[in-house]
Amino acid sequence: MSTNSLPKGFVFGIIFAFLLAVGAALVISAAHYSRANLPVLGSAPDFTLTERSGEPFSSEDMRGTLWLVDFIFTHCQAACPVMSGHMAELYKLYAHSDKIRFLSISVDPERDTMEVLQDYADKQGVTDNRWMFVRGEIDYIIEICEQGFMLPAENLPMGHSTKFVLVDQVGQIRGYYDALDDPDIDVLKTHIRELARQMK
Amino acid sequence: MRLYKKFALLSIFVTYFLIFLGGLVRVSGAGLGCPDWPKCFGRWIPPISASQLPPEFAPETFNFTLAWIEYINRLVGVLVGLVILVTAILALLYYRKKLHVLLSSLLAALIVAYQGWQGSRVVASELEPIVVSFHMIIAFVIISLLIYAALQAHYSDADTDKIGLFPRNTSLIVLVLWIGTIIQVLLGTTVRGAIEHANRDYPLLFGAELLAKVGAIDELHMATGILLVIALVVLSWYVLKKSHNISTLMRQTTWGIIVLSFAQLVIGHFLVFIGLPELVQLLHLWLASLLIGGLLLLFVSIQKGGRLANVD
Repeated sequence: MSTNSLPKGFVFGIIFAFLLAVGAALVISAAHYSRANLPVLGSAPDFTLTERSGEPFSSEDMRGTLWLVDFIFTHCQAACPVMSGHMAELYKLYAHSDKIRFLSISVDPERDTMEVLQDYADKQGVTDNRWMFVRGEIDYIIEICEQGFMLPAENLPMGHSTKFVLVDQVGQIRGYYDALDDPDIDVLKTHIRELARQMK
Repeated sequence: MRLYKKFALLSIFVTYFLIFLGGLVRVSGAGLGCPDWPKCFGRWIPPISASQLPPEFAPETFNFTLAWIEYINRLVGVLVGLVILVTAILALLYYRKKLHVLLSSLLAALIVAYQGWQGSRVVASELEPIVVSFHMIIAFVIISLLIYAALQAHYSDADTDKIGLFPRNTSLIVLVLWIGTIIQVLLGTTVRGAIEHANRDYPLLFGAELLAKVGAIDELHMATGILLVIALVVLSWYVLKKSHNISTLMRQTTWGIIVLSFAQLVIGHFLVFIGLPELVQLLHLWLASLLIGGLLLLFVSIQKGGRLANVD
């Protein structure tokens, strides 16, 4: 603690603090990058389906916000209640933001009429158009599912995928998440946050 | 004795570095980079890929960057603990009769051991803001003890005539402002905790939008911050102007307090108006810890100098 060495110490301290700040900026960037470095897995398909309101809903309507997409049917007793439960949880969690919306595509259009989809939406607590429920011809749905979202669609409706698909604001698929797995849902939340952070 | 002083300085230096690292872990969101403690994903050396994870850990929970940020913080924590332990042992060897040095060195070593264990509670609480803030406050206690011990050792055999002659009650004013600064830091940690709670409720809000959800505590922190900076600058001016034969250490520290006070004011407002960039959050916290250390140095030095002046 020699007083004579202090001016040198001051200069050293300032240089050290500057280097620390630069190092910290790099670490913070690396941390962000590690969470947000989501590969582009493909493009979400072009499609036009019918929303529970009766209005047409197309892939063009998905531009500008993040979308979480799943394939369900309302009479499903196994996976779908868990999937929709998680989706409802996220719908409520992000109620404060218009940066993410939700899309459930029915794989049982015969039984999932618009009225049935509306009832199902009501049961999930959906009160606005941040969560859309859509239907269409089954062959068209299979095509969207298999060739568009690259998910299996054999033996529908029972054989539907239990994945959530995260689509970014320019229509790119950024991730698949096991909708029945809590740790995967936590990862999904992190990815949604990081993609939303990049949106202005 | 010289060896003790070297280690005391080293322990202050590395503890400030560790406070910086701890803040970096917090702002980079790496606090749960290792979900277990003391190991990381069940290993003493963290995995470098998800394929190395033991079966009880889900691969999705592994992030290489975050795991290593957190683990390096823990490793540095162990090294700092060892340096402080050696400092305490040297105090036992060389300063057995200087109770201020001995007790503060030993207490720092004991608290740093507790701090290591408390790190496990931070992880177990899944980064509950109040637990994280408590972890940081303990770090401030440790650094204060280390600075106090080092100064007591320094002044125990230094020529105290050269510290300076100070007006009456100056040390009391410094003490009040030191306590005020600590309270301001506690308010700041409350703001930080409120931001983290708001972040859980509004995960897609960032920066100023998120800060708007925090409420009046943030405005209170800003207002008291402005008052504190004014008080610190006036105090520093008073010390520089009214003291005689002030030592270089004291002069540099006083100027350092002026610079740090203004820097904190600018950085604090930058945080509010630019929107909480992580690096600025980290600097705000770290500079606060330097300010607390600087004020403590001023307080102890003035006490020593003042007493000598009275004798004269």
